Amino acid sequence: MHSKRVRFITVFALLTCLLWLFGLGWTLKDYMLGTPSSAPLSSAEEDQVDETGALKIVALGDSLTRGTGDIEGKGYVGYVSDRLKEAGKEISLINLGIKGLTAPLLAEQMKEKEIGRQLGQADIILMTIGGNDLFLGGQTLSDVSEASITSLEDAYLLQLQTILDGVRAVNTEATVYLLGLYNPFVEFENGELLSGVVRGWNFKASELLAKDAKTVYVPTYDLFQQNVNDFLFTDHFHPNEKGYALMAERVAALIAGAGEGGQR
Amino acid sequence: MSDITLSVQGLRKVIGKRTIIKDLSFELKRGEVFGFLGPNGAGKTTTIRMLVGLIKPTSGTIHICGLDIAKHFTKAMRHLGCIVENPELYPFLTGMDNLRHFAVMISGITQARIDEVVRLVGMQDRMNDKVSTYSLGMRQRLGIAQALLGKPDVLILDEPTNGLDPSGIREMRAFIRFLAEEEGLTVLVSSHLLHEIQLMCDRVAIISKGEIIRVDSVQQLLSSEERLVWRLEPIEQGKAILRELASIVNETEDTVTTPYIEHEVGEWNRRLVEGGVSVLEMNRKLPALEDLFLELTGGESID
Amino acid sequence: MINLVQNEMTKLVGKRRFVVIAVIIVVLLSMFTYAQAKEAESIRERLGTVDWRTELQQQIVDMQNRLSSSGQWREQIQIQIKQSQYYLDNDVNPSEPGAPTFIRGFVQNSAELFLPLLVMIIAVDIVSSERSMGTIKLLLTRPVSRFKILLSKYIALILSVSVVIFLFGSLSYIVSAVMFGNQGWAAPVLTGFSSQGGELDISGVRLVSQWQYIIQQFGLAWFISVVVGTLSFMLSILMRSSAAGMGTMLACLISGAILSNMVSSWESAKYLFMVNLGLMDYVSGSAPPIEGMTLGFSLSVLAVWMLGSLLVSFTVFMRKDIY
Repeated sequence: MHSKRVRFITVFALLTCLLWLFGLGWTLKDYMLGTPSSAPLSSAEEDQVDETGALKIVALGDSLTRGTGDIEGKGYVGYVSDRLKEAGKEISLINLGIKGLTAPLLAEQMKEKEIGRQLGQADIILMTIGGNDLFLGGQTLSDVSEASITSLEDAYLLQLQTILDGVRAVNTEATVYLLGLYNPFVEFENGELLSGVVRGWNFKASELLAKDAKTVYVPTYDLFQQNVNDFLFTDHFHPNEKGYALMAERVAALIAGAGEGGQR
Repeated sequence: MSDITLSVQGLRKVIGKRTIIKDLSFELKRGEVFGFLGPNGAGKTTTIRMLVGLIKPTSGTIHICGLDIAKHFTKAMRHLGCIVENPELYPFLTGMDNLRHFAVMISGITQARIDEVVRLVGMQDRMNDKVSTYSLGMRQRLGIAQALLGKPDVLILDEPTNGLDPSGIREMRAFIRFLAEEEGLTVLVSSHLLHEIQLMCDRVAIISKGEIIRVDSVQQLLSSEERLVWRLEPIEQGKAILRELASIVNETEDTVTTPYIEHEVGEWNRRLVEGGVSVLEMNRKLPALEDLFLELTGGESID
Repeated sequence: MINLVQNEMTKLVGKRRFVVIAVIIVVLLSMFTYAQAKEAESIRERLGTVDWRTELQQQIVDMQNRLSSSGQWREQIQIQIKQSQYYLDNDVNPSEPGAPTFIRGFVQNSAELFLPLLVMIIAVDIVSSERSMGTIKLLLTRPVSRFKILLSKYIALILSVSVVIFLFGSLSYIVSAVMFGNQGWAAPVLTGFSSQGGELDISGVRLVSQWQYIIQQFGLAWFISVVVGTLSFMLSILMRSSAAGMGTMLACLISGAILSNMVSSWESAKYLFMVNLGLMDYVSGSAPPIEGMTLGFSLSVLAVWMLGSLLVSFTVFMRKDIY
């Protein structure tokens, strides 16, 4: 009595209905009865190397690497990559910066397998670390005692060494650029005192880096020494886009120079 | 099987605190056209909806061919065909698809039967067109075809001539008479048009405010209300004589109206002539149902 | 009974409901696939690589950065990070490029709102349209019990839901296969994550093929749609106009989507049907809206709602006076 089309659709609908019921049943069986992990995960294809001939940049570190304060969200890492691209280089970039990261946390992060793999493939490693270790989110500003600074410093340098060792464990070739600290609190009450602390901190860090020929310390202290507010974001802590651009200029110049002059 | 095809006993419907239908009882016989007459809002449609099972009565029973619709709904409905209000069909389907749709809901209806009812209502040419392209008259006919599919014993049509043009109305009337006389169906027709009922029905129930005021054959109703209009000369003298003999229904300047009582009219005439009144004209008048209705309901308007 | 069901299917086909739904799906699909293709392109551009590990690592770091500033989303993100990390550690690509991966994501995102909406197009007027057209008077004066008539309508609804889901699946396959290619059916997918107290539990994690995962997803999507369809069906009976039914159901679905994100402290909200529609989140392993909800719990809640509304539907429909 019914048209063939409707009969076909009805039968077809019935079949799809059964299919979905089967799917639902299968899900129930799997999740309700909780079939335990059958086979351990097979880790197939190991270490497939990035076949592109691009210059691989890996950025590690804290909010500065992430780009906090930059309205474009690029941070110095983004601007470095932009500049290199403008110069005609092919760039592959991964930014692993995490806001609020301290040296111990970074050391922890580097233990991750994939991070290790990424670092292993890197040609250039950019790093900012230490700001959170020293300033403790501005806490240090109110309590600048010799003893507390020293203990912070010692702990930091120990971790920094661990980090560098970690990098070298997976990659002996890449050049590591560590950007130093600046003093965002220059114009505050204890600013002068803190400036001294930052200089000392930077000095020790650069000393530590000097042990490895392919590890470059990039100072930023001087960039923010004058007219600091022109280069800082409204939080008076992170750089703004101008500040980041200054930092990037310096780093990009170093990378370009290294590329032209071969090994330093 | 008895001759009673539809029997209604003590039907009542209460909605909230209002009693919409008050104690209706009537019976329909095979082969008759029964009129359901009343003004809009009198309860015709509610009653019809109860007859076809759309509304559940508060109390009372409805039997179709001896089957109680409350207890044996599907069996009873097997004997019933109906159109309630407008013949609403699926506009996005063709006429044939519509009929098939309803045919599969009744057991044992074949394609041959569908073709038969289509021929009966004369819709052969348009069956493969979508109903949305039909005129009202065509929809009405398709509606009837649908109602006739199951070879019903009782056909219930709510306002079947509503919205039809004069020739459509004539056709419909003839068709309903045909169904009753030739096919032996019981047809229940509701209408608020007295004229309609008068022309179409054998018997009529007059319903007002949810009550049946009167059930009678159309003939009976009309004859009991027959009048005689007298034109007399001189009129004043004639009026005086007639007043003594009969109850005057109406007087004008030159006429007098009395009930028509066959075995007394000759006597009245003789007395008038004896009294020196010459009878210029005696006019026997069949009343329209309009008058009748006004009389029965005490002046309630019809529309 | 089969005839009655076919009657209902005839009407649905006659109303061109399936065509309308197919068109809606295709329009949305082409937008989504285009957006997805653009997105993939921009990631490639930003990272300068096509290595999925790099991409995933970047995503993890991006999420870690969002953690500090995301209040109530914290838990969700944390679980997502751990899950992504698990994929990375086990060398499983969570988004193998290709049609199957697209379908997987599309179903996941559509199951709570888009698919139910499509189902509503059918469900919400399956009874009330008969009422507004007036055909219900003819339908209910046949020698067929009201129970059977309603049952045939409900069965037709279930069948239609199945067809809609199928249309959804097949159309998204066709469109995405054109855009992204056909590969990746056998790609591994990790499933069986569960989260408790904001912690990701990986004890039940299994590796399944993507095609298997997709069929399971569709099974769940089907169930969600059937539940929403059943509720709309009830509204279709209770309410005179299709528009009112549609509006009510829509309000429920949307409030569900909103509630799911903020009811974590309103414990008893977990008995509301709309909070339980995120069945797929259990399978993919994101945190449930309210602590302690599980797949089994949600399925039971939905089933109870479904049975309840069926009961109401049939009782009301069988007693209702038709004016």
